[in-house]
Amino acid sequence: MEQSLQLAQLGAGIAIGFGAIGAGLGIGFATKGLMDAVSRQPEVAGKAFGFFLLGAALSEACALYAFVVAFMLLGK
Amino acid sequence: MEHWIYTTTILGHSFSFNLDTIFTMWFAMICLIVFAFIATRRLSVVPGKLQAFCEKIMGFFWGTMDTMIPERNKQHVPLVASLFLFILFANLMGQLPLRIIHIKQGELASPTNDINLTAAMAVIVLIYYLGAGIMKKGPKFFLHDFSFTSIVMALVELLEMVTRPLSLAIRLFANVFAGEILISIALGACAYFAPLPIMLFEILVAFIQATVFMMLTIAYIGSATGEEH
Repeated sequence: MEQSLQLAQLGAGIAIGFGAIGAGLGIGFATKGLMDAVSRQPEVAGKAFGFFLLGAALSEACALYAFVVAFMLLGK
Repeated sequence: MEHWIYTTTILGHSFSFNLDTIFTMWFAMICLIVFAFIATRRLSVVPGKLQAFCEKIMGFFWGTMDTMIPERNKQHVPLVASLFLFILFANLMGQLPLRIIHIKQGELASPTNDINLTAAMAVIVLIYYLGAGIMKKGPKFFLHDFSFTSIVMALVELLEMVTRPLSLAIRLFANVFAGEILISIALGACAYFAPLPIMLFEILVAFIQATVFMMLTIAYIGSATGEEH
């Protein structure tokens, strides 16, 4: 029992870690796109920021799926 | 987070209700209904402050619909607008100090930290966009013609009917839930000022998640009723 709990904690850590990699990459690319767009056309900054927030939220959700899985592992 | 689960038996089946979610959900709904009632009570041609504000909100919905669904989009506004406003009220309720009201189990927080509520809303969206697509196209909604590609695409669409509501439900639930966990961790670190920036960030997340849910709902309805489907 003790060992399975430790394994579950390890699995939770691995899950959230790998999930965060993808979300971090996604938000980084989204920020890069926002910077490109704003430096080319500064007048679209407001509109582009709205879309950026939307895309960042969508890619952040992938990390949160990993978070849910990690929490399910810990909640055993 | 624990919920206050009440189990009862109706007609031989046992049902369990998450009472805290039901209370907070009704609280959000009553806030919304009272707001809507007050806002639409005395409408005038020259709008007052409140009416102008509500017209701004409706203009936001109409503008978003116009950008994503080109024609005959006004009929979808009621569902989309009520989903957005309900999720916004529900998420923002999590930052109210409702937790000082002690209940038997669990705590009164935002109702969207329960996956049952978000899953129910996602299923409503699924049924709505399937219904809208079938009303628009009839049986052709499922299969255009009997070619190989369209049959494969129909199978993919069948898979999407499962994954779309699942991702909708889990996205909203996990955002709110992760925010609450984060706040409780910050509370454990330092109870006085540490949770404050996270709570401000949660207010931003409440708006973003409501917008994301609304945008995805509009996109699904648009892809179900559009021509290129």
